[in-house]
Amino acid sequence: MADLQSPLGAAYTPGNHGNAAGGAGVTLQERTNVSLVQVTAWSSTIPTVLTAIGSATGVIIQNKPGNGRVAGEKSVFGFAPGRFMVTSATPDIEQRLRAAISPELGTIVVLTHGRTVIRVSGSRVEWVLAKLFAIDFSAHAFPVGAGRATLHHDIHTLIQRINEETFDLYVFRTFARSFWKTLGHAAEEVGYRVE
Amino acid sequence: MTSWRLPQGGRIDRAKSIGFTFDDKAYSGHPGDTLASALLANGITLFGRSFKYHRPRGLLAAGSDEPNALVTIISGDVREPNVRATELEIYDGLVVRSQNRFPSLEYDFMAVNQLAGPLLSAGFYYKTFMGPAIGPLRSTRFWMFCERFIRRAAGLGKAGTAADPDRYERMNAFCDVLVVGSGPAGLIAAEAAAATGARIIIAEERPVAGGALLASSETIDGRPPAVWAREKAEALASLPNVRFLTRTSVWGYYDGNVLTAVEHVSDHKPNRTIGQPRQRHWVIRTGKTILATGAFERPIVFPGNDCPGVMLADAVRRFAMEYGVGTGKNVTFFTNNDSAYDAARTLALTGTNITAIIDVRSDVSGTCTNIAKAIGAELLVGYAVTGTHAGKSLSSVTVQHFNAQTGRLSGAPREIKTDCLGVSGGWSPAIHLASQAGGKPEWDEDLQAFLAPEPNQNWVVTGSAAGYMDTISVLSDAATKGSAKTRPVLPQVEAPMFDSSPAPIFEIEPAGKSQKAFVDFQHDVTASDIRLAYREGFHSVEHLKRYTTLGMATDQGKTSNVPGLAIMADVRGISIPAAGTTRFRAPFTPVSMGVIAGERYGDLRPHRLTPMHDWHIANGAKTYEAGLWHRPMIYRSHGETVEQAYTREARAVRESVGIVDVSTLGKIDIQGPDAAEFLDRIYTNMFSTLPVGKARYGLMLREDGIAFDDGTTWRLGETQFLMTTTTANAGPVMQHLEYYLDCVWPDLRVHLTSVTDVWAGAALSGPKSRAVLETCVTGTKVDNNALPFMGIVQGHIGDIPVMICRLSFSGELAYEIYSGAGHGTQVWEALIAAGKQFNIVPYGLEALGTLRIEKGHVTGAEIDGRTTAHDLHLDWMLSKKKPFIGSAMIDRAGLKNEHRLSLVGLISLDNQSINGGSHIVSDKAPREPADSFGHVTAACYSPALGKYVALALVKHGTSMIGKRVFATDLLRDKHGAVEIVSHHMFDKDGSRMHG
Amino acid sequence: MIIKCPYCGPRDVIEYTYQGDATRTRPDAASTDQNLWNAYIYDRTNPAKSHREFWLHSGGCRQHLIVTRDMSTHMISSVAFSRDNKNVGDQR
Ligand SMILES: [Zn+2]
Repeated sequence: MADLQSPLGAAYTPGNHGNAAGGAGVTLQERTNVSLVQVTAWSSTIPTVLTAIGSATGVIIQNKPGNGRVAGEKSVFGFAPGRFMVTSATPDIEQRLRAAISPELGTIVVLTHGRTVIRVSGSRVEWVLAKLFAIDFSAHAFPVGAGRATLHHDIHTLIQRINEETFDLYVFRTFARSFWKTLGHAAEEVGYRVE
Repeated sequence: MTSWRLPQGGRIDRAKSIGFTFDDKAYSGHPGDTLASALLANGITLFGRSFKYHRPRGLLAAGSDEPNALVTIISGDVREPNVRATELEIYDGLVVRSQNRFPSLEYDFMAVNQLAGPLLSAGFYYKTFMGPAIGPLRSTRFWMFCERFIRRAAGLGKAGTAADPDRYERMNAFCDVLVVGSGPAGLIAAEAAAATGARIIIAEERPVAGGALLASSETIDGRPPAVWAREKAEALASLPNVRFLTRTSVWGYYDGNVLTAVEHVSDHKPNRTIGQPRQRHWVIRTGKTILATGAFERPIVFPGNDCPGVMLADAVRRFAMEYGVGTGKNVTFFTNNDSAYDAARTLALTGTNITAIIDVRSDVSGTCTNIAKAIGAELLVGYAVTGTHAGKSLSSVTVQHFNAQTGRLSGAPREIKTDCLGVSGGWSPAIHLASQAGGKPEWDEDLQAFLAPEPNQNWVVTGSAAGYMDTISVLSDAATKGSAKTRPVLPQVEAPMFDSSPAPIFEIEPAGKSQKAFVDFQHDVTASDIRLAYREGFHSVEHLKRYTTLGMATDQGKTSNVPGLAIMADVRGISIPAAGTTRFRAPFTPVSMGVIAGERYGDLRPHRLTPMHDWHIANGAKTYEAGLWHRPMIYRSHGETVEQAYTREARAVRESVGIVDVSTLGKIDIQGPDAAEFLDRIYTNMFSTLPVGKARYGLMLREDGIAFDDGTTWRLGETQFLMTTTTANAGPVMQHLEYYLDCVWPDLRVHLTSVTDVWAGAALSGPKSRAVLETCVTGTKVDNNALPFMGIVQGHIGDIPVMICRLSFSGELAYEIYSGAGHGTQVWEALIAAGKQFNIVPYGLEALGTLRIEKGHVTGAEIDGRTTAHDLHLDWMLSKKKPFIGSAMIDRAGLKNEHRLSLVGLISLDNQSINGGSHIVSDKAPREPADSFGHVTAACYSPALGKYVALALVKHGTSMIGKRVFATDLLRDKHGAVEIVSHHMFDKDGSRMHG
Repeated sequence: MIIKCPYCGPRDVIEYTYQGDATRTRPDAASTDQNLWNAYIYDRTNPAKSHREFWLHSGGCRQHLIVTRDMSTHMISSVAFSRDNKNVGDQR
């Protein structure tokens, strides 16, 4: 099948931008070829669904708000009660989840086309993201693997911490270009590189 | 010109110099100077003209409390008015102008206002410009007429009209402890809090830490206090758990321990690095707040007290100690408390001659007497200043015997030659932030000042903000307030012992005629204005403030509130706390609009673009904003007008085939065992009976029976539906559904997900639309049997999976083709290619609107929050078999009344366009449409009918069909005869879309 | 103002959407009692004291919360998921 067209269009300009003379404070990148599947459990089936996600992906997370884990190209995180984002570089993830989760356990919505994943990394990542989001990015408040649902202006965003200096931002596709520009603008102060 | 720079002292870098311009004249100063200190050093004492009377004004204070020295910074076409010269750090190339003077600061025409003094007293504007009760200039109209003349005479700086080119940013911060202020209290409290490992933010308004220590001549641990403070601040800033923000003024205290601050990131720099903002708006969410905000010295009100050269005693000291600049050669102090003696002692150490100390009290302590003796100043105990004399600046003051018990003056006036008078009327703790957070300040008899209320959030007040006025008690208070767990080792302080309690003297009021005595310098409010307000019946402090504008200028009365209140209490014969105080409001200090707007200026909202957006732009689309969306309005070719373009597009749809981007429709994935039951409750019509693979048009109402939204919902599986909503209502409908699942029917097992962005949608309309699909769709048939009206099939276009539903908004044979958004452009281009042989035309919102108007299909213009299903002729959709949201209320008499507006069509009888929003009237003559019985909701030229048509909501609706009326638009002066027709203006039996 | 979402933790009020009085009772769906419906739809108290309100965490987990808030001080005494609340729904 044809590759997915990026919503960023001409706004995606690889290279160094902003005050990057002394090295880029952050690196921005659009994650492509990643399948995004949302799984939602019924209130009574959350532990069972987490087990099923574990068996389908090999990634096991705890039944705690915002808990999540990153394992290589796969990741899982919760962002609302009983609701989880499952991502994988392999598109068969949908079928594996459907096989493991019946409608009695929960529901599945494939969001690959509907959400754009932007990876932000670098030593100044917390500083840049704090310009856009009113949540605490410090490591003790937002541990590696964890997920958050929050807002920049009108743009609803899911955020997962990939490692100490890397976050994945999931934004609605139709907002992605506007958000990308805003993110680049916010990163100019520390300088940024687009991969 | 003599230099007023002292031979040594201050934190200025004397080795370097900085050039700047004030009122078109070049000056120089040093790094570390403010505009105020640099101009003082150049012998400038006149900084501005006052607000109402245009009186010459100099500096009163040395910091954020300065009411007089407001200037405008000029940068190209951009001007920033009302910047306090005492806070403006100079940089190379800075250009500044004084304000509120014409033509120049020294020769000001408007100073004639002084002669008209009595006319401009309190309430003058209200009284004079209320206007007559009748006539063309009645009441407020007269005010509006006069206002522009008044504005020219009274005012502060003028805002510019050029766009602000600077960058502003917002920053979100979280911490365990926020310390506001880094004077002795802030530093020690922060040290204690930081030792616990907690996350600390310290916000300091000034460029350097130290607060009052910067101008102190005491010793701390054997060092000058400014040095001790610098070392302490550096140690704190180096800790990993501390963020030390300088030039950062905390200006708002909100619920939930949220505080806002403005950081002047680069205001003091001639150039900025790429991406560096001018100012940053900090929103700080903190566990605990330590308010170490210090105290403001207040003046004593006496005749002639606004003469340039009359300053706060502490300001005199600060200019000397912090900037190495003298405010006078022979300085006199006037005080009701001990602190002026410390100022005098400190100033004497800089080599300045202290002429006299005038003290209103009848006796003073030995410490004070000794200081006066040691510095060679004449000590006038039991005296008060009753007047000032000046050329361009102060030359002498008049003093008289003063009885602090009775407030009476006696004896012969005596003149004392002096070029600077330092005044101290006691100190007011800076409790602004605590007051903003809530609670009523409490009066402290001992300090003659208001103290912060009991905390209603997790805050503590420490240091002089808490009423501790000497360094030793400030430090020991801060050590206990910083943390309950740790207690820092306190440094050794060497300082003279003073009494912090002032005499309760706020005003010197001679019995006879005297000079004006100012209370509020920035708004030119005098002591007699307050008395006048009282005589005219404005007794409560809230009324007093509004009538006189006392304390309502940009300095929010930092120096004037307590003296003003004291005078009010005096005339009413009550105590100051009984007269009351007003609650401080944000912002503590003036904050630019730019920094609050942050990045959200100009292009205020984010854009939403459909997957095919770039194609539209590349193919001539002219777009407009629909909510956050940017959507094609028309695709212009060959210099067409908008009307020509949409007419061509709409005609092509009716004649052959057109394609429109419908990706913006709201789309909600609805899944779960109870999904069908849920939809039955939400929609007015039945959805549980809808077979899998079919779509149905649905209408939803609000609880009150008014129509809310419409759209088609597709059953994709036994327990899965795809709901579409109107573009504008996608968010509200989602919220509506969530509300009922969460709050009303939590027992229903249904999940909702917004999938608007998942799908790209293209609507293919026109008699040839099926033929287009047949040439490009594989994997499914699309004929009438395989894909009947409201049927859904899955297939492929190329190798891309698509979902096709046969439904029509245009009234033609039509299909909506959905694909994954990432494939939207490819599918769109494949459809265009397949339609080429049928001369397919892309069409925009204008043609979409035209097609639906011809058909009488409703949108948000008709579902306007006032209309019912009945009004819109959609009552056939109201199921009688089940309750649904709104079903209980739709039969109310008022909603069935025959006088209600209902949907009709209009046809222009004069072959002229009809304006949207026109009123429907029966009178041909244009006049105020008092007899309006309806309005136009949408209008266009209809190529199918060859006429200008419209939809309208009209009283008695259907029964008016055939009547000839008028559509009148007084705003745009457009009036024309129209005929009321059925809203189904084209293809009434729907044969075209079923074909 | 900050509301502490039981799932997301403390968040600024800008992330939330006010969704009305949480003390009212929706009549039985089949009820035709106009007085009952009228009261449900239009009658609101405005107490200057503790009050229960629905807030949707629209900029976060998108759950409706029941927030108990003092209307005169803005002090929030409790926040709970609306779904867990046994006092909502038809005919409570
Ligand atoms: Zn939440």
